[in-house]
Amino acid sequence: MYDLFSNLILGFSVAMTPANLGFALVGCLVGTLIGVLPGIGPVATVAMLLPLTFYLEPVSGLIMLAGIFYGAQYGGSTTAILVNLPGETSSVVTCIDGHQMAKQGRAGAALAIAALGSFFAGCVSTLLIALFSPPLAKVGQSFGAPEYFSLMVLGLIAAVVLAHGSIVKAVAMVIFGLLLGLVGTDGNTGGQRFTFGLITLADGIGFVPVAIGVFGVGEIIANLVRGEEQRSLVQAKITRLWPTKEEFKLAWPATLRGTALGSILGVLPGGGATLSSFAAYAFEKKIARDPSRFGRGAIEGVAGPESANNAGAQTSFIPMLTLGLPGNAVMALMIGALTIHGIQPGPQVMTERPALFWGMVASMWIGNLMLLVINLPLIGIWVQLLKVPYRVLYLAILLFCAIGVYTVSNNTLDVIITAMFGVLGYIFIKFECEPAPMLLGFVLGPLMEENLRRAMRISGGDPMIFVNRPISLGLLVAAAVLLVIVMLPAIRAKREEAFQEG
Amino acid sequence: MTNSGMDTSPVPPRGQFFLRANVLAGLMFIALAVLGLWLSRNYPVGTALRMGTGYVPRLLCWIMGGLGVVVMVQEFVASDGNILTGEALLWRPLVFVPLSIVIFALTIERLGVVIATVLLIVIGALAGRGMRALEVAITAVLLAALTVGIFVWGLALTIPVWPEW
Repeated sequence: MYDLFSNLILGFSVAMTPANLGFALVGCLVGTLIGVLPGIGPVATVAMLLPLTFYLEPVSGLIMLAGIFYGAQYGGSTTAILVNLPGETSSVVTCIDGHQMAKQGRAGAALAIAALGSFFAGCVSTLLIALFSPPLAKVGQSFGAPEYFSLMVLGLIAAVVLAHGSIVKAVAMVIFGLLLGLVGTDGNTGGQRFTFGLITLADGIGFVPVAIGVFGVGEIIANLVRGEEQRSLVQAKITRLWPTKEEFKLAWPATLRGTALGSILGVLPGGGATLSSFAAYAFEKKIARDPSRFGRGAIEGVAGPESANNAGAQTSFIPMLTLGLPGNAVMALMIGALTIHGIQPGPQVMTERPALFWGMVASMWIGNLMLLVINLPLIGIWVQLLKVPYRVLYLAILLFCAIGVYTVSNNTLDVIITAMFGVLGYIFIKFECEPAPMLLGFVLGPLMEENLRRAMRISGGDPMIFVNRPISLGLLVAAAVLLVIVMLPAIRAKREEAFQEG
Repeated sequence: MTNSGMDTSPVPPRGQFFLRANVLAGLMFIALAVLGLWLSRNYPVGTALRMGTGYVPRLLCWIMGGLGVVVMVQEFVASDGNILTGEALLWRPLVFVPLSIVIFALTIERLGVVIATVLLIVIGALAGRGMRALEVAITAVLLAALTVGIFVWGLALTIPVWPEW
């Protein structure tokens, strides 16, 4: 307990410096700004703004990046409620009841409940991160190469199982990501792999061009092909921001349930915001006394998923920060950012750079508070933003993607690679291949190979080492069990159902 | 057909086998695997104890190709995937979006960020529908100014602003 307090004090002393508060604020604002725009989710937002944070100190950069992430998350909810366009998958369910509330003139209440619920969830999950990270990191530190390899296998499998869409395709995407991660000079033998003789590729394909290409540019192409959506912006002026007493009475238990559910699901690889919000909506509907209210503006349908997605978004930092294991695409981006700052993600971050670790944890709480304070008054501005037509908007995004990539490396080849991955990203969307598993594989590829080789050297080339070590065996068995379970027809049907709510 | 490029029909005719998302995805994985195996044909593989440069990449390529086959077989058996429509090949976005970025990459160092930005906006605008010339011009000027403001003045990056004569 004493440790927790001294750690948090250290964290707040880092996060509360005027400069870092400023970066958190800028991050939240810019994140919300971009996140509000329809058609751009948190992954694209974070990928696009990633380059901006590279000029800062690692702590400040990460604080700003985290702010961007919550901002984007929150901005997506605003769009969902006001325009009925989910900017991201995690606010799909918010659309259902949130937009109905807005149509009934209760937009203010819906937005306020979303903000308050998210803030509450943010407080709880920040505390959870502070509580559970140290013991988990300790476990991580006792791992050897075989355990790490097995852990990453489990992480990737779980990410695939919990994501939606075809599992076989998702595994294939992971493998493709792993292969992309191998491009460059082989660290052990010095051999060149898939470099086409290009010097730029000797250091591997950049993380930023891949992420921005697939998630930013690919989305733009897909949106343009699809054509402009019909927007039904609620034009009525938002008069009353504060929910009524009855609404509060219905909303706060839903917030509690959503927070609990989201906190648990967020820690799981592949979990995070999306799974949490879908699960919370389904749960609220199931336990409601009158389920028919859902879809017609039930406030629990906003409070539950919104708190859950924020809790889930936040607790998904736990495996990333303590084990270096990204559970979803945003966490893969975070790992990429850490690496670019020269920090090797893993359990040693907490012990070797406590100021960075705890500063980031403390900034999460501050970021949530800022969102609450800045967003409600600024709603008018966000509404104005929603009126910018996509045909102008995508040009700005396109430019930002190109310049962002260029400024990271000052290398024009990286910009061209971005364009190529943009086309690839569009193909993935059309062929219904989720790109998130690819990004996880891409980030983990070099690490996995390194640990595989080390394990093989320990065992003298005997692959049985993964089975002979109890912890490693346990992790692999867990991965196998997950795969088998999800292949069972009954579970498979349920899994599809979980992502089709609404 | 404004919402999605995909269409779901319960019993797709046989002829559309190669238009199904899953079949195409499977083919894509197989093609990527074959490409990877071909590129790595001369990489030393080594043994499990002393892995060569090619060991892990070739292993992964074989797995990916195998999964590609599984994806196709699954679709062949179940036939429950979506079918791509002609809309997916709408060429304007598919050509002009990547092209605008490539042109930006080729011009930024020689012609400076202002001209590169304008080129990106103009070429990028060709990808969209219903663009108006005036709107594009205004967007281009505004964004060029914003770019110089943020990246050159704000972040003080060394990006050429104008062409170097």
